[in-house]
Amino acid sequence: MINPRRYPLLATIAIFVIAYAICYVQFPYMLSTRVAGNLLTDNAYLGIVAVGMTVVILSGGIDLSVGAVIAFSGVFIAVMLRDTGLHPVLVFALLLALTTAFGAAMGALIHRLGMPPFIVTLAGMFLARGVAYMLTIDSVAIDHPFFDTLQSTYWLMPGKGRLTLIGVIMLLAFVVGHVVAHRTRFGANVFALGGGQQTARLMGSRVGRTTVMIYAFSGLMAGLGGIVFALYTGSGYPLATVGTELTAIATVVIGGTLLSGGAGYVFGTLFGVLTMGLIQTYIVFDGTLSSWWTKIAIGVLLLAFIVLQKALLRLGTPRASALG
Amino acid sequence: MKKSLALSLALLGFSATASAAQVVGFSQIGSESGWRAAETTITRKQAEQRGIDLKFSDAQQRQENQIAALRSFIAQGVDAILLAPVVATGWDNVLKEAKESEIPVILLDRQIDAPKDLYMTAVGADSVHEGEVAGQWLVDKVAGKPCNVVELQGTTGSSVAIERKQGFEKAIADHPNLKIVRSQTGDFTRSGGKEVMESFIRAENGGRDICALFSHNDDMAIGAIQAMKEAGLHPGKEILTISIDAVPDYFKAMANGDANATVELTPNMAGPAFDALEAYWKDGTQPPKFIQTDSKLYTQSDDPEGEYQRRKDLGY
Amino acid sequence: MMPAGVKRVLPQLITLAVLVALVSAVFPDFLQLHYSDGRLIGPVIDVLKRGAPVALLAIGMTLVVATGGIDLSVGTVMAITGAVAAAAIVAGHGLLWALGLALAAGLCAGLFSGCLIAFLGIQPIVATLILMISGRGIAQLITEGRILTFNLPAFSFLGSGHLLGIPVPVWLWLAAATLTVVVVRRTALGLLIEAVGINRRASALTGINARVILLAVYMISGLCAALAGIVTTADIRGADANNAGLWLELDAILATVIGGNSLLGGRFSIPAAVIGALIIQTINTGILLAGFPTEYNLVIKAALVVAILVLQSPLLAGDLKRVAARLTRLRHPAPATKKERASP
Repeated sequence: MINPRRYPLLATIAIFVIAYAICYVQFPYMLSTRVAGNLLTDNAYLGIVAVGMTVVILSGGIDLSVGAVIAFSGVFIAVMLRDTGLHPVLVFALLLALTTAFGAAMGALIHRLGMPPFIVTLAGMFLARGVAYMLTIDSVAIDHPFFDTLQSTYWLMPGKGRLTLIGVIMLLAFVVGHVVAHRTRFGANVFALGGGQQTARLMGSRVGRTTVMIYAFSGLMAGLGGIVFALYTGSGYPLATVGTELTAIATVVIGGTLLSGGAGYVFGTLFGVLTMGLIQTYIVFDGTLSSWWTKIAIGVLLLAFIVLQKALLRLGTPRASALG
Repeated sequence: MKKSLALSLALLGFSATASAAQVVGFSQIGSESGWRAAETTITRKQAEQRGIDLKFSDAQQRQENQIAALRSFIAQGVDAILLAPVVATGWDNVLKEAKESEIPVILLDRQIDAPKDLYMTAVGADSVHEGEVAGQWLVDKVAGKPCNVVELQGTTGSSVAIERKQGFEKAIADHPNLKIVRSQTGDFTRSGGKEVMESFIRAENGGRDICALFSHNDDMAIGAIQAMKEAGLHPGKEILTISIDAVPDYFKAMANGDANATVELTPNMAGPAFDALEAYWKDGTQPPKFIQTDSKLYTQSDDPEGEYQRRKDLGY
Repeated sequence: MMPAGVKRVLPQLITLAVLVALVSAVFPDFLQLHYSDGRLIGPVIDVLKRGAPVALLAIGMTLVVATGGIDLSVGTVMAITGAVAAAAIVAGHGLLWALGLALAAGLCAGLFSGCLIAFLGIQPIVATLILMISGRGIAQLITEGRILTFNLPAFSFLGSGHLLGIPVPVWLWLAAATLTVVVVRRTALGLLIEAVGINRRASALTGINARVILLAVYMISGLCAALAGIVTTADIRGADANNAGLWLELDAILATVIGGNSLLGGRFSIPAAVIGALIIQTINTGILLAGFPTEYNLVIKAALVVAILVLQSPLLAGDLKRVAARLTRLRHPAPATKKERASP
């Protein structure tokens, strides 16, 4: 017997499989390791920030700063590698420390001042992109032998598909996110917080500490996503990834996590990310949509996925819906 | 079983594209301006005239979408790729993949920071040169008289804005009579240009201290012209107005005497690109690495009304 | 004693005053006004006029936020309504048709989001995100990606005309805000909205039809966005579907929150949200007038926003009160000891 709490996750996976099947019927080449490898590589940065976003949303919060933090990360790495002799690994460590501290600071503001996360992280978004501009307004290419090695690391799959390093990092991020959210005390606190701060207090968890840790984790993931994005593009650009936070939120929701917090699965988000990637790939394969129809199609497909998910859940739990 | 299925399908897909018309993938930045819409329209028309099957992908202003689109084009095995890059850096990896799959890539609008062997050619204007042409016109026009210039910049961080600024500054560098007194971003939009110009007018003694406006694109200049007129100033006469792009509405302003000059950036980048591709497919001719389009200067003596009529239906 | 209405907006007014002083420090002529050609001219008037779109959006956003929702689609709805108005004018229909169609488009957009939220139970942020993405496509479909330029002085008047020396957009947001406040406060609508925002289930039990209320607030928000779209389009005499209202939804939400409205829903104040919009516009105009390099724009805005949020935060206010109380106690020890004796 399947646990009813897993229904949203199963619905997400089912919809992804159905969608892929539809794509396959129309464009048989979609079912190649090449396209599958691309799906992982192209969405690696998105998947990583979505892991952080899932944890934030599970706690009932939201983090709008991630897109700007990715842009800042790319610029920071590029400028540091250009202007100082530091080794990339050291730069990565510095960056992760910075973005984690940045996230923690936002978490502290949210808890300490009782301000809504939406607004604090919105200010964080302005700040992160603003600092990126101050570092450089131009795009900066990254040129470092160690960096190049990381960029060109991949495993060849049968059928010429490439499983890249950054794709693997994303999958690992999901494993780590899963363990953190579903197997640790911190994760239990996150769920408790999402269920309502009152409950969390009753359960004896320290709300303040947990809030700081949640946004620190999201900052860490955004920093890691920034490293992966820098590896993906090989450059830093202050105008990069505008609006990525909204895409990440959408993937989390498609993945079956409730925006009100307290219910969801980290692995659901993985399928949310892959579904988003599938929509993009399908539109490129089709290749006939104009700029405007592309936007309309993305919105309509998103709506279709969400409505389908709701319908599947209602079918799966007739009694629960009657009660609710 | 599954593997061999995928493989045979891949072969099928490949042979299908090889037998039909040439397939060209076009990764466009997005649709952020009228100029961009015109470029897309013209590219589609050019492809249709030449019997090329154009696969269009709109990246909505995001490099990551462009890279993903390029990868999809490569996976589909298109015959060539047109790329209008949103930014100058960060293309090395995906271009290497295209090269390994022996798919020629042609860049539209601008050049990029990548080894030249990774792409076939770049068709575009030199943005620094455009800024220089604009600056030179102003230098000649004021002929040594002191002149305070205000500048409307494009989106902060975009390479076009950075380069047009550079070129303009280069042109006026040796002329101490010309001075940029205010410079702010209007995000390449009409409303941005209008709002920023209003603040310039307030800050510079009701606009009386401004002698010329240099705008990084025509849309912002059109907004700025409205702001000047509403403040009771006479653009084109009291305040010299020079801008870049040559879109139809700006010619209308020139015809009305509200604007002085513009530097053309043609939206027909696809024509020369397809020419180069067809020559390459025919006998393997390699084009030069940069096909520079003409940055022609239009002033009020170049029949602005006629230019407006000629351009208004081009999809701007 | 101050009337309750003024007391509610006092923190926002103080913030605005401090900000104006700050901008005057870097740009001394900020408060200068003069009268010529039958109109008032000066940076302050610019703030009032340029703040119109966000102020209009903030009116609708406040009602949406009061129900515990959020509307990310308003920027896009501006683009749609602007495109509809311009297309109607270009097609040769008159001013009334253009206005009517644009407002109808705004209402439809609000109805769409409202239905997704009220009937399908989709969370507001996602439902309006869908419209935010696809709506811009619809707007571009209407204009085909071009800037639709038109020439209709009666319509342009709404964006750049003057009435009694004041720009028309200022009258528009003043009228819209006053009208909304009157409707919301003179009828039970305001209470119903707050009830839905505080506890939707409980409000349903008391007989409130939460679905109708939700539909109503998103449609009002759509209507406000339509007005903002009309002002923007009329101002530049053209519909720029690509850029009109781009990211303005974030400014509108920020204005609402600076106005002291809780994103969790419940009690709300429209005047405070409108002052919030003016605060944001003062920052924007101040940055333009100050003449800093463009790359500092965002950092300055972020720093000011953070400072405002910190100073206005309810918890900090509690802390300050406690500090103030302790200071009074130090200065007047006698009553304090009495209190201390009483408290344990």
